Amino acid sequence: MTELVEIERDSSPMPKLPIVAAVIALVGLVDSIYLTIHHLTAEPVPCSIVSGCETVLTSAYAEFAGVPLAAFGAVAYFVAFSLALLAVFGNRVAWLLFGLLTVGMAAFTGWLLYLQAFVIDAFCQFCLLSAASSITLLLLAIFSKFWRRNN
Amino acid sequence: MKKEPKKSSNLPLIIIGAVLAAAVIGGYFYYNSSKPNPNRANTNTNSNRANTSATASLGATPPNQVGSPTASVTVEEFADFQCAACASVHPVLKEIQSLYGSRIRFIFRNFPLGIPQHDKAYEAAAAVEAVGMQDRNKFWAMQNLLFENQQTWTGSPNYKQIWEGYVQQIGLDVERFKIDLASRDARSRVDADMQRGRGMNVDSTPTLLVNGKGIPLQSITVANLRQVIDAEIQNAIKTQPAANAPAAAGNTAPPSNAAPANTAK
Repeated sequence: MTELVEIERDSSPMPKLPIVAAVIALVGLVDSIYLTIHHLTAEPVPCSIVSGCETVLTSAYAEFAGVPLAAFGAVAYFVAFSLALLAVFGNRVAWLLFGLLTVGMAAFTGWLLYLQAFVIDAFCQFCLLSAASSITLLLLAIFSKFWRRNN
Repeated sequence: MKKEPKKSSNLPLIIIGAVLAAAVIGGYFYYNSSKPNPNRANTNTNSNRANTSATASLGATPPNQVGSPTASVTVEEFADFQCAACASVHPVLKEIQSLYGSRIRFIFRNFPLGIPQHDKAYEAAAAVEAVGMQDRNKFWAMQNLLFENQQTWTGSPNYKQIWEGYVQQIGLDVERFKIDLASRDARSRVDADMQRGRGMNVDSTPTLLVNGKGIPLQSITVANLRQVIDAEIQNAIKTQPAANAPAAAGNTAPPSNAAPANTAK
């Protein structure tokens, strides 16, 4: 009980950050599930904002070891959501792990953005949404550390 | 003053479990709803598309078309360059184009299927568009080469070099082709066609529509298509006001390259 109260005090400066992170992770999770299903059913995804969605989603980089890349993303977002939610309830270790996870996710996102921009030379709006989600998660994790250090 | 924690220690686990369950169940239902029916793979069940063809997005503009844009009969094909059935009906459709000439409007729409086996289909569609951007008339020559040599380039890791050979063969600038193939413009045209197809519930290739009415794959033969197209031409003549009849008759005159047998029906 004492520990929980202490945790609440420690995480009090920005209690809403993990909530925001959980919501964004949910957005990324839904997006990844959507892309995974479209990959498995071979149904084209709407491509209204950018051009070349199909080029990206049917490229050699769209799967790894026969598993759609989006499925790995879905797992990562689900873990991120779970950790952020645990942090909402005061679990500091979960928030630390969340921070580490977002670093990995953002690094992978950087690689995927590089592939889209310079190798495949096409973009997919749902991939960009996922990229935006993971980068935002990283920024939230960084911001929470920064906030704590200044408080 | 110590605050009693309001939140149950099990609550996060319950929420996580609920989200996991929602993701799995929702994903399962969405997968089932968007999974193409295996019985319809490479077959055509495109009925009731007459209404949607008018309301769907326009597709690539201007479309890749031959014949007369004002003809009373529009034949619209949605095809994928790696689809074997599309390659097999290609000679039939070429013959129909040749037989009817300006009495029909034939539109070719790119509809590369996003399946792993058709990994080059989207690029192939962009390749014919790139050729069309350089010379609109050569679009059909490239389309022809891609369908006729489907087995050759589909199985080759150097498929782009093979395409460049085709471009050279039809007398176009290969360097310009490479630039156009990489351009957003070629892909935008493919995407526009795909968007139109999706708007019309196209879910397999080849999908062939005659005045918006779907023709099943097994009916895509020269004889069947002639029956359908002739009936549409007759319908158009009947429904036109009497005053316009002479003009309509003029419009349906066979083209110079049409076989005389075409008009006998």
